[in-house]
Amino acid sequence: MKEKLDGIKLAALALIENAVSTAELNDVRVKYLGKSGEISLVMRDMANVPKEERPAMGKLVNELRSVVENALNEKNAILAIKEEEQKFKEEEIDVTLSATGKRLGNLHPLTLIRRELIDIFLSMGFSVDEGPEIESDLYNFQLLNIPKDHPSRDMQDTFYINDNILLRTQTSAMQARIMTNQQPPIRVVVPGKVYRSDDDASHSPIFNQFEGLAIDRHITMGDLQGCLQTFAQKIFSSDTKVRLRPSYFPFTEPSVEVDVTCAMCHGKGCRVCKGTGWVEILGAGIVNPAVLEMCGIDSNEYSGFAFGFGIDRIAMIKYGIPNIKMLYENDVRFLKQFN
Amino acid sequence: MLAPISWLKDYVNINVSPEVLAKKLVSIGFEVEEIIYQNKKVSNVVVGKIEEVNQHPHADRLRVTQINVGSKKLQVVTNVPVVGGEVIAVALDGAALADGTVIKRGELRGVLSEGMLCGLEEVGITVDDVSGQTAGDILRFGDDVMLGTPALDALNYNDVILDIGVTANRPDCNSIYKLAKEVAVALDTTCREPEINYTTTGGNISDLVSVEVQNSELCPRYMAAGVKNVKIFPSSQKIKSRLRAVGIRPINNIVDITNYVLTEIGQPMHSFDKRELEGGKIIVRNAKDGEIITSLDGKENHLDSSMLVICDSSRPVAIAGIMGGLNSGIKADTAEVVFEAAKFARDNIRRTSRTLGLRSDSSSRFEKGIDFASQEYAMKRALTLICESGSGEIVDGILDVKVDYVKEREISFTIQKIRDILGCSVPKDKLISILARLGISVREENKTLIATVGEDREDIVGVNDIAEEFIRVYGYRHIKPTLFKYASLTSGVIPKKLQVIDKIKDTLSSFGLNESVTYSFTSPEFADKLHLTENDTARTAIRIKNPIGEALSVMRTTLTHSMLETLAYNITHFNREASLFEISRVYLAKELPLENLPYEEERLCIGAYGDGVDFYTVKSALEEVFDALHIKAEYVRSKREFLHPGRGADVVVNGNVVGFVGEIHPRVAKEYGIDNVRLYCAEISVDKILARDNLEKSKFKPFSKFPTIERDLAVVVDDSTNAAEIIGAVTGAKIKYLDDIRIFDTYKSDQIGRDKKSVGISFSFSSLERTLTDDEIAEQMSRILSVLKRKTGAKIR
Repeated sequence: MKEKLDGIKLAALALIENAVSTAELNDVRVKYLGKSGEISLVMRDMANVPKEERPAMGKLVNELRSVVENALNEKNAILAIKEEEQKFKEEEIDVTLSATGKRLGNLHPLTLIRRELIDIFLSMGFSVDEGPEIESDLYNFQLLNIPKDHPSRDMQDTFYINDNILLRTQTSAMQARIMTNQQPPIRVVVPGKVYRSDDDASHSPIFNQFEGLAIDRHITMGDLQGCLQTFAQKIFSSDTKVRLRPSYFPFTEPSVEVDVTCAMCHGKGCRVCKGTGWVEILGAGIVNPAVLEMCGIDSNEYSGFAFGFGIDRIAMIKYGIPNIKMLYENDVRFLKQFN
Repeated sequence: MLAPISWLKDYVNINVSPEVLAKKLVSIGFEVEEIIYQNKKVSNVVVGKIEEVNQHPHADRLRVTQINVGSKKLQVVTNVPVVGGEVIAVALDGAALADGTVIKRGELRGVLSEGMLCGLEEVGITVDDVSGQTAGDILRFGDDVMLGTPALDALNYNDVILDIGVTANRPDCNSIYKLAKEVAVALDTTCREPEINYTTTGGNISDLVSVEVQNSELCPRYMAAGVKNVKIFPSSQKIKSRLRAVGIRPINNIVDITNYVLTEIGQPMHSFDKRELEGGKIIVRNAKDGEIITSLDGKENHLDSSMLVICDSSRPVAIAGIMGGLNSGIKADTAEVVFEAAKFARDNIRRTSRTLGLRSDSSSRFEKGIDFASQEYAMKRALTLICESGSGEIVDGILDVKVDYVKEREISFTIQKIRDILGCSVPKDKLISILARLGISVREENKTLIATVGEDREDIVGVNDIAEEFIRVYGYRHIKPTLFKYASLTSGVIPKKLQVIDKIKDTLSSFGLNESVTYSFTSPEFADKLHLTENDTARTAIRIKNPIGEALSVMRTTLTHSMLETLAYNITHFNREASLFEISRVYLAKELPLENLPYEEERLCIGAYGDGVDFYTVKSALEEVFDALHIKAEYVRSKREFLHPGRGADVVVNGNVVGFVGEIHPRVAKEYGIDNVRLYCAEISVDKILARDNLEKSKFKPFSKFPTIERDLAVVVDDSTNAAEIIGAVTGAKIKYLDDIRIFDTYKSDQIGRDKKSVGISFSFSSLERTLTDDEIAEQMSRILSVLKRKTGAKIR
């Protein structure tokens, strides 16, 4: 019996030793330890062993069983690792390959800038409003102190639908609409499309403006400058400086052109600012008392400021877009660049 | 406004560089658009005298000249046939010519040449820029020119000209004199006045001509003066160069004087040949409808009664303020001249000029506005120049027909008010001294300041104008930024519509679509390109009266057309795929021609093409939008002409059609130049889906923690039965425990039968309370099957 057990042990250990896969090892386990495995059979045959020999024999069989089991487990651990490594090896991929599948789309640069602007002015207490693009002469011009046949109409080449209806040339048209419909305090920004019959390499007949209007008691040119400086520093960079220059708009008095230090060179002078260090970005001023009165606001009690600038221009400066027309061509190679 | 610095210097001392002057002018509100150096690129081209000419020893056509340029003599080899004694222009060693060429001394066929003789082209000017030179010849000068003088100086072509952008509130500054006044303010110095000094020689203007103004509203002032024994000759070199420098062609002494005064004083003038004024009369009246006048430029103008004309006793001799008639102009033998200096109504000149398509330096000045002071000043200045140039004998008296006008305006204000406007401290003495420099005197009465403004500053009417005049000179740098220091606190809000639009944009961009922006106007051909039916309301597009071109002449009524153009643009620009969306307005007229402002409807348009893009790609983008807004949409087969008949759906929300989604009809795609690429589009009215006032916020809905049980079912239905009908039948039956239902497969084969299809449907069941049993599910599945049989004729497969 003992010889028989030794024979089983040798044979089993040899098979375990030579096994090359966990599957093969499992076969060995079944062969020896399975229900009808050789060691299991020996255990079952114990009934035929004389009673007095049973304890010794039992011990031997149990020893055999645990030796085989241990050998199986050890070998299995080794083979399992090997097989896992093998599997990983087979599953190796080229991690430098580009990911395929759906990509996020991008918002238009004009939308991106517009949102940035709205956030900036919301934080200064401005609400957002919109108005009609096809506008009456009354709001676009007359209530802004620009009567019919006034020379300052030459400043803007207007698209007319008829004598009284036109494509708004400026979001300022909304100034008059808001002032005739709301009482101060008014603090509002108006983004939107405007139209001028100007079509050459550097002009688009459609572009987007961003209008600001603040009407209240005690509003000064200093507030205008503070507001614009906050805006310029947030949209460009915190070291941006603002400079006011006298100018003329019929609906503001005093009127100013506003320059900011060039975002490209931070005021040192470069190609973008033509070496001046300054870039002109907007027109502004104190709301002309005549406009307040025409819109039904008492100019003795209230004052205000207004400003307007091109969103397209800000986008071009911020993103370094060389030509305004690219904004409206919608080539996907362009549209995918901004986020 | 072109302002030669030499001309400004007649009235103000300028001892800073043109660049510094430009900066100073900008700081007080006069933008200098360009500084033009007349002689910008040319250097070391000087006047020299040819002292000796010898034949070149080795070349028949060349001469060796000895030239005296004052400081030295040099030898120049030339092919120009010059002779000794001639005064010419020579480029010295190292000279730069207008085209950038640099002249170097060197040998020509073995003989040293130290320069080159120059003509007009070499110094970059044409025969029109200067007097007394011949095109194609070298420059030649008289004996009076100092040798060594730069040639362009000798030609009086060495000015520096500022191109100044004069804002519309300062029409007075479209003149050299008024600009000189501003220069004086900018440089903090004084300004001299143009000289008025002439003598008359008897006679009486009333004997020469009479003036009758029939419409004083359109002609508030008309002045006339007369000159006898006129001699017509070319103007002086100085006047000619100055006129040329501001872009006016010199003609003769009389016409040049009117143009000179126009530029200097800003007052347009006109000169009539007296003998052409029939009856010796000047009548200012409205034209008669259909009256015709040929203007100086030879154009025949058909007038109407809104226009103002200057007439003699029988016919129009000038279109007031715009252009003289060919019949009454100055001629070589003109002997008596009547000068006109008038004020015409700004708006009327503008309208007439636009209507006739006739513009002139005169009309553009009148359009901007001419003040009451200028007529008399200009007239006297013109007479001074007549006198100075010996152009004729001035008749006594000036006729002056005018309405009453306010000469000066008074504006009361307080220092505090100026401070309130500007938000900076305003020193009273500074304020008063700055206003004085601007010609505005200030006196104080009971703590109120009263400014007196002359009528040449029609733009100054109130305290805000006073504040501006002060600060533009005092300097904006004195204003320190504040942020609503004394104003109310407000909190900003964004209207709901804009919030929704932002949400749609975010949804679509995270779905992989790129946002596009296209022009709001388009070609009227859009309707035909889209194959819209004749009575489609989308054809009712608003026309622009003065479009850039036909291709951009109507306001769009649909975004789809622009989207198709954009897709086509991308296809032809080598982009393999594009998925785009745009949210913009369309312009829907309530009536045409337009009487009221149209309805501007906000629309969403989606467009896509490329590998893997199909109807369902675009539809799922739409569904994401509707999900984001908690909107339930239905889809019914569309009959729109521009959609593929089998692949288009109208989108219905709450029983209203809000738009469509579909594949573009291949014949329509062809209209956009696209063949063999399938284009997909959707267009939805954002306003219509917004109109539902139950755009809900997200709300929590409990979900089961017990196992979800899935069951699949395959049924055979008629080919025409669509997914919405199958799903609608089941959801309408209120099946218990049913969480979700999806169609995962449709399949056709001969086995199933013609006009039939097999549909695979998947169901998910769960309960919030417990794990469902097989029996419970089976009961629901059999209910499902029976409702499908009843509603859609489905048979189990």
